[in-house]
Amino acid sequence: MQNLGYLMQLLDPYVLGAIALGTFGGLIIGALPGLTATMGVALLIPLTFSMEPIMGINTLIGIYIGGIYGGCVSSILLRTPGTPASAATVLDGYPMAQRGEAGRALGMATVASTIGGLFAAVVLATLAPQLASIALEFGAAEYFALALFGLTIIASLSGDLLKGAISGLLGILIACVGADPITGVLRYTFGVSGFASGFAFTPALIGLFALSEVFTQMERAAKGDIVPLRVAGRWPTRNDMRESRGAFVRGSLIGTLIGIIPGTGSGTASWIAYNEVRRASPTPEKFGTGYAPGIAATESSNNAVCAAALIPLLALGIPGDVVTAVLMGGLLIQGLAPGPMLFQSNPEIIMGIFGGTFFATLCMFVFGMALIPLFSRILLIPRHVLAVSIVIFCFIGSFAINLNPVDLYTMVGFGVLGWGMQKFGFSQAALCIALILGPMMEANLRRGLLQTHDNLLEFASGPITQLFLALTVLSLAWPAIANRRARRRLAGAPLTDPEKKNQSK
Amino acid sequence: MATLDERKADVWIGSGLLALCAFAAWRTTGVRVTPGPTIAGASFVPWVMVGGISILSVIMIARALIREHGATIEMPDGAMLARMGVFTGILVAYAAAFMPIGYLASTAMVFVAALWLFGERRILMLTLFPIAMIAAVYLGFTELLGVWLP
Repeated sequence: MQNLGYLMQLLDPYVLGAIALGTFGGLIIGALPGLTATMGVALLIPLTFSMEPIMGINTLIGIYIGGIYGGCVSSILLRTPGTPASAATVLDGYPMAQRGEAGRALGMATVASTIGGLFAAVVLATLAPQLASIALEFGAAEYFALALFGLTIIASLSGDLLKGAISGLLGILIACVGADPITGVLRYTFGVSGFASGFAFTPALIGLFALSEVFTQMERAAKGDIVPLRVAGRWPTRNDMRESRGAFVRGSLIGTLIGIIPGTGSGTASWIAYNEVRRASPTPEKFGTGYAPGIAATESSNNAVCAAALIPLLALGIPGDVVTAVLMGGLLIQGLAPGPMLFQSNPEIIMGIFGGTFFATLCMFVFGMALIPLFSRILLIPRHVLAVSIVIFCFIGSFAINLNPVDLYTMVGFGVLGWGMQKFGFSQAALCIALILGPMMEANLRRGLLQTHDNLLEFASGPITQLFLALTVLSLAWPAIANRRARRRLAGAPLTDPEKKNQSK
Repeated sequence: MATLDERKADVWIGSGLLALCAFAAWRTTGVRVTPGPTIAGASFVPWVMVGGISILSVIMIARALIREHGATIEMPDGAMLARMGVFTGILVAYAAAFMPIGYLASTAMVFVAALWLFGERRILMLTLFPIAMIAAVYLGFTELLGVWLP
């Protein structure tokens, strides 16, 4: 009954309006190539400063959900993924659009995103409180091992494990700037008082994800803007829906499971879901030719990640993916520390987030369906005009948090760093997660060592700690195992005609 | 667009990271560590990170030197790189001017300069669009959201 009371706060028209507006804004941002959901949330955090916590957080969640969904628009119409999460949607979305069925493809993406989003929202509302009650038992060692696992998994999924690991360690080193979390001793501040509390987190993220993209857009602007395909129709056919039933279920399940694992994200989920749905399909040869279940798999999984990634954030205080890492910044600005204690101290916020996630997903469906005929026009906004406008938001966003001009330099510095990392194959996501998890890892490691008198065996003796440490080792070894399996498969596979010719030569 | 061999880039970046680690190690020696019952003092994690990054950088350099083939990285050509350098300079100047000159004047200058750098030459886009955008953002943040801007 009390929970119902907490949900009533969502009926405030201002709160509903803010969520709807956030979802709409996120959708537009996600639809534009190069503008990601992460960038959208990072840039629009300042808009939520003056809002009530429930309104502010749900607005950001709306941007997140809308942004992840919006990514499918440019994937389908331009063959350019609006966000990394929708990269796999290109495989079937674009061929379908090229056949003159862009509306059908967008409609299927909207329906699939809604199904995935609602499924994960139900899981969020049921699983997060249970997980939070378990997390109340966690001590320093458990938190350290969990944070380590979150960090290593994102490094191992970043393509190049070595560069991912360097990015993560660099992030922790950068997070060491400022006062030490246990004794308060200043480190690497070079006498600048502005650095005493370390690099401001949100300006760093704005630089890393938004300003770095402006540099990338600057390079791309030389190549000119692309003219999108025209859109007609908006609903998937009855046959599409029948064929995609399995894809909806698998995509939603995979997206939810991957979203719950700390550090992973929508990009990973959509590729895994696509592969799994294709593998289970009686007609795998149709995938990649503009086949509706291909779109259903990727879009249901990437939107399922949105709500699922909130589970570790809210229950454990560990972000489920990069966007929730930025969202964590939004929560902290509102004076709320995510983690199991939040369920006890602010249950109204937790219930508000559960309800807001449902409402934002429904808004996404309504806006998505309504805007399908207009999507091709959104994509006509010149990229260079967008890029320069983003710079203004980057500056205001970074400044407005602390009204500190030093944050502007931080943002510019991280922007250049982010562009360089993107260019040379280093993981911005690993650096970002490390910036968040670094202080938490350090504080818990040192606290744990202090409690166990530097006895590492005792430190790692708990079953949960051992489980997370084992998962950490597995996540680090996984790229090598996967490589070896792929090589074995290749060695066992019969040679194709061109390969046979090459061998005979 | 110019191209760069990833192996060459990795050697340079690895060397840069080693230099950064040397600098960080020097600064870490200056961190005041209060004697206590544990080895994990204020400089413990920084030392672990410095050591970790150094080892991984050496591995990255070695990997680049051993590899027979490296991926090709698309790099901006000289002119584009210069433009990006100027753009970064504009951003630093914007950061410096934001407080003393104020949001309206500094943003107007930066907006026009950046649009010009991005290749925009239409007079309306260089005049009316920045004015409308800057005014809308200013009013939106200060009046609607109550965010103070200089």
